[in-house]
Amino acid sequence: MIFRRVAPLIAAVAIVAGACSSSTGSAAPGGSGAAGTGCVVGVSWNNFQQPRWAAKDRPSMQKVVTGGGGLFLDFDANLSNTQQLTDVDTLIQQGADVIVLLAQDDKAGAEVVKKATAVGIPVIAYDRLIEDKNVLYLSFNNTDVGFAEADAMFKKVPKGNYVLIKGDPGDANASKFLPAGWDKAGLKDKVASGDIKIIGPADGTYTPAWDTTKAQNNMEAIIDAANAANQKIDAVLAENDSTALGVAAALKAKSYANIPISGQDGDTANLQNVAAGIQYVDVWKNSNELGKAAGAAALQLCAGKKMADLALPEGLVLPANAPTAGNKVQDFTTPGGNTVKSFILAVQPITQENLQLIIDSKWLTKEVLCKNAAAGPAAAPICK
Amino acid sequence: MTDLAGTAPEPTKGTGGLSPRRMLAATEIDLRLFGMLVALFAILIGFGIATNGKILQPASIVTLSVQTAVVAIMATGMVLIIVSRNIDLSVGSTVGVLAMAYALLMTDWLPNLGVPLDSPLMWILALALGLGLGVGIGAFQGFIIAYIGVPSFIVTLGGLLALRGVVWQMSSGAAVSGLNDTFQLLGGGALGSIGGTATWALAVIGCVAVIALLAYNRRQRRRFGFPVRPMWAELLLGIVGCVAVLGVAAYMNANYWPKFLAENWAAANGVPIPEGGLQISTGFPWPILIIIGVTIVMAFVANRRRFGRYVYAYGGNPEAAELAGINTRWVIMKTYMLMGLLCGIAAAVASARLNGATLDVGQSNELYVIAAAVVGGTSFAGGIGTIPGAVLGAFVMQALAYGLAFVGVNSPTQNIVAGVVLVMAVGFDTFNRRRGT
Repeated sequence: MIFRRVAPLIAAVAIVAGACSSSTGSAAPGGSGAAGTGCVVGVSWNNFQQPRWAAKDRPSMQKVVTGGGGLFLDFDANLSNTQQLTDVDTLIQQGADVIVLLAQDDKAGAEVVKKATAVGIPVIAYDRLIEDKNVLYLSFNNTDVGFAEADAMFKKVPKGNYVLIKGDPGDANASKFLPAGWDKAGLKDKVASGDIKIIGPADGTYTPAWDTTKAQNNMEAIIDAANAANQKIDAVLAENDSTALGVAAALKAKSYANIPISGQDGDTANLQNVAAGIQYVDVWKNSNELGKAAGAAALQLCAGKKMADLALPEGLVLPANAPTAGNKVQDFTTPGGNTVKSFILAVQPITQENLQLIIDSKWLTKEVLCKNAAAGPAAAPICK
Repeated sequence: MTDLAGTAPEPTKGTGGLSPRRMLAATEIDLRLFGMLVALFAILIGFGIATNGKILQPASIVTLSVQTAVVAIMATGMVLIIVSRNIDLSVGSTVGVLAMAYALLMTDWLPNLGVPLDSPLMWILALALGLGLGVGIGAFQGFIIAYIGVPSFIVTLGGLLALRGVVWQMSSGAAVSGLNDTFQLLGGGALGSIGGTATWALAVIGCVAVIALLAYNRRQRRRFGFPVRPMWAELLLGIVGCVAVLGVAAYMNANYWPKFLAENWAAANGVPIPEGGLQISTGFPWPILIIIGVTIVMAFVANRRRFGRYVYAYGGNPEAAELAGINTRWVIMKTYMLMGLLCGIAAAVASARLNGATLDVGQSNELYVIAAAVVGGTSFAGGIGTIPGAVLGAFVMQALAYGLAFVGVNSPTQNIVAGVVLVMAVGFDTFNRRRGT
């Protein structure tokens, strides 16, 4: 923790010590002629608490940037808005030509964008949208995540009693985007037609901070209430992997029948559950590919390309995650009404049928993936 | 000895009349505890009315009790810490570290040392190491508090932050799952229960113990010439105690295996399914037995052991305790070691329930544990607080959370109710105490 605070200080000292060396990266975008050479890509992560950023996104991005002759600089803001502002200041002072920003907050993020664009530095909004028309937005299709969860579940259990487990009530993903995807897949219509009946609160049960234990406690109460009312639960739509883990634990604690559960994120424990037949579908966002795309886009911006002319190199992103709209940059209309340039990568619902993708993309080794498979109710064929 | 007791006129209490207040006084029932029990039943009955009695079914009450286990276990230790005028804010993070330690020990560390996951040695080793680590964490913090003299609020606040960071470091932020099967029984559920026969046996032992304890107490009091309860009060307590123990057992045994599990078991063992379904009693789940065991042991330590009396003496008046020759520093350090041990037990239940560990196991548990102790009548002024009170406090808080979830109220609203109840309970208690003195 202390290290995270001190890191920018050390960086600041480094600037003072070597002010000249960092001036090689010109402050104006497109100032340098040769593609990639001398390009400084500054990255500000909002946190390393969630494992994926440091484990997946960062190394993939770094590889593309340094592979293209660029210099990769990054800081982690430890979930603090003010720290993130300081970090970005430091990056600008160190001569960053492009800034990649995983924003802690979409509003505070907008301040960062203003600051950077004022000195002519383009900003890539990485995986989290920032309401500013000057950003390049890179993410997965988040409504598609909800759609993919519900779509897979409805194919498996077209009619029956569903429980809805949602995430943190303060998170727009939990309250708006994911449920919008569920409805797009037909949840609302199926409830209206009576094919699907919701057990427990009709609007779903929220889980503060996406906490696994809380999700487990809530699910256990719902199971008890359903049992008392002689209702059978046929499937559980859980919004993400941490809540899905809680649901799986509740079903196990109640020795409930092995019913399909959804989730998203591609967390190791959940993919292991898919392999063991405990979780039915895990919508996987291969963040290695997002990191690669951001690295490539940053190098192109460095080389002076305009945002409107960007295109991802052919074959950079795995076919499973390639943007459905093609490799050329697209317009994206934000909820706030801004039109920004964007690359939106495709998500991949993972069930036992396509677990091979996880191994092929080196997300997990087969040994890790299949670790608990034999102990589960239905081991995946590839683990046998 | 007997002649001494025989010759002494037998002083009894409460013989002066039969008003309800005097009769209650004669039984020497702790009125505060009794009041909390009434409050707990009132909450359950309130929810029972709201749900047409569904929440009062054994399955629901068992779930509620199992969910209470983690907080209740730790609350017993928190009582002693608050009684001795300290606080422990690090218990939630300690549980997080220990739950992650159990998960990693079983999936990673011990298998790498050549102990296979399904070895019977596995759960014993993991549990021993986890409990040891818990005591170690407690000893470390306790040492800084007692011997170096840094205020406990600061030390354990540091622990809260640092240990949560350690959880992340241990697994690089990933959730870990897949524990030893025997270890998982600690989490309860139909398989993690001791079954109908063992439950009845335990209940009979419990009933005999209640009667033996009453008889022993009576004899000891007579021996030293203390006033004894009137015989009718003794009989009443014995009968109520026995009926309560047997009633709880009957209730637990009225909780049956889930249909799905029972049918699978029947199919696997070639047992025909009778008309109306197969009914296999679950009996006591392990977490409930652990709550009961921890409560009894901790109450014994607090009331009957020298260490426990020293804790209360110190809490009542630190200077007097010191002057009386009590090694107060060592006593304080021991309260933290005990707390660490209890965190180890709680973490075992928490991780067994999850069949693994996530980054957020134990998150904000310190607040629920302190709330349980305080709702249970523990005073921040020191010297006052009981173990069963804290356990009941934990049950009251969890009954509200579970009941609200059962009727479909969302978690943020559950938190609002919990907060209001906490303040109301303590306010009511303070008011009563002021009036009482």
